[in-house]
Amino acid sequence: MSDQLESRVIIAKRCALEMKDGDVINLGFGIPTSAADYLPPGVNVFLHSENGCIGAAGKPATKDADSDRTNASGAPMTVRPGAAYMSLTTSFGAMRNGYIKTSILGGLEVDEEGNLANWAVLRNGHWWPGIGGAMDLCYGVPRIIAALQHIDKAGSSKVKRRTELPLTGRKCVKTIITDKAVFDVGSDGLILREALPGLSVEDIRAITEARFEVAPDFKPMPI
Amino acid sequence: MSNGKVTSIDEALSNVHSGSRLMLGEFVGSGQPEKSIDWIVEKSIGNLTLIVCTPGYRDKFLMDRLFETDLVSELISSHVATSSGSSDAYLTNKMMVRQLFPMGTWAEKVRAGGMGLGGILVPVGIGILDQPGIFPNLEEPKPKLTLNGKEYFVEEALTADVSIIRGWRADPLGNVEFRHTGTINQCDIAMAGKYTIAEVNEIVPVGAIPPDRVGCPGIFVDAVIQGYSLPEQDALYRNNWIRLGILEPEEGAAE
Repeated sequence: MSDQLESRVIIAKRCALEMKDGDVINLGFGIPTSAADYLPPGVNVFLHSENGCIGAAGKPATKDADSDRTNASGAPMTVRPGAAYMSLTTSFGAMRNGYIKTSILGGLEVDEEGNLANWAVLRNGHWWPGIGGAMDLCYGVPRIIAALQHIDKAGSSKVKRRTELPLTGRKCVKTIITDKAVFDVGSDGLILREALPGLSVEDIRAITEARFEVAPDFKPMPI
Repeated sequence: MSNGKVTSIDEALSNVHSGSRLMLGEFVGSGQPEKSIDWIVEKSIGNLTLIVCTPGYRDKFLMDRLFETDLVSELISSHVATSSGSSDAYLTNKMMVRQLFPMGTWAEKVRAGGMGLGGILVPVGIGILDQPGIFPNLEEPKPKLTLNGKEYFVEEALTADVSIIRGWRADPLGNVEFRHTGTINQCDIAMAGKYTIAEVNEIVPVGAIPPDRVGCPGIFVDAVIQGYSLPEQDALYRNNWIRLGILEPEEGAAE
């Protein structure tokens, strides 16, 4: 398993522990979506899909894939018992107005204030690739969990003192889950709650640009 | 019963011209008016201002071909890169993107256009999308307004010369029924178009669609055209998902 694949699995598994039975949750593209594959036994959640579904479920067999039953990634899906369809505007009203309680979103950068950047990098002098539904989620969902790799490909910390890229949400992140650590975003800054088994607080400090306190019950990540 | 609004694709699509403002039903590749898009690509009707939730899906599939063949001069959307054609057109400056909208904002702008409103007040993105340098192609700063102590963007309604939606069944009155997540905001798009075409899998007699299943009432539709049948449409999407590695090839599928 490559390091990057390994780190994606760590993040997805740890994110899965944030979901409780019966929760209504929106999972962003990429790693957050795969968190649903690692739900503990007995935990069933209602996944919200932006295009207009609460109760989105996994991939169908090819012969059952319906061109009119698709998820927010444009892929075929199934739905669980109790699912509900709705229009796009109703779906976004649910996001904007706080009816979706938890969302796990990928990130390019996150910082000490819980600011999240995940929609734009400079490419050919243009901000790219686009906003989609992430900004509506950051605005309206009370519990945003940022799920991202701790360090970027160039070796820099993605958990920063201050984000530099255009933001998706201001002061919206409540919890940060990386492949190395878990932080809560408190009113006075970050609080380190967990580290990957085998890593010390000092190891986390060495790879983290943001300043942080250490929780009294700091413990190894239970994955 | 006369054919009512049922017409040929050539007749209906003759309303789309070079330079038209065109709104299409779509969400990350699903719910697209497939045959209409193929028709526009085939006739090479260009210089379009395209108003879509997202600009298609990956590559070489339906809406993406509008960008691959350089038919879109301006995009009004929430994203530039759900398809590679759109992404390339944007990054090489072949296509103007003045600004991007949070998807919920885009959807409400379309709804406002359909409902006859001038615009809407949106709190999403305040302090972010009004920052310098975010949208260099925007001539004026995004207008804002404070109401009861809270700041909002004043977002203008979106309308189109021609809207094309895709539904499951339609009758000669133009009533359209949708399936599953195919509803998206197709009805809002229908209402926001000066001339609206419904491309559907099946054309049925008046009375065949139960009134409580009409997702877009016929008064919002000017023309009904026959699209792919549902089995054809399923095959089109399944083959694309197999090509992209999202689904297993049919032989390997578990029974």
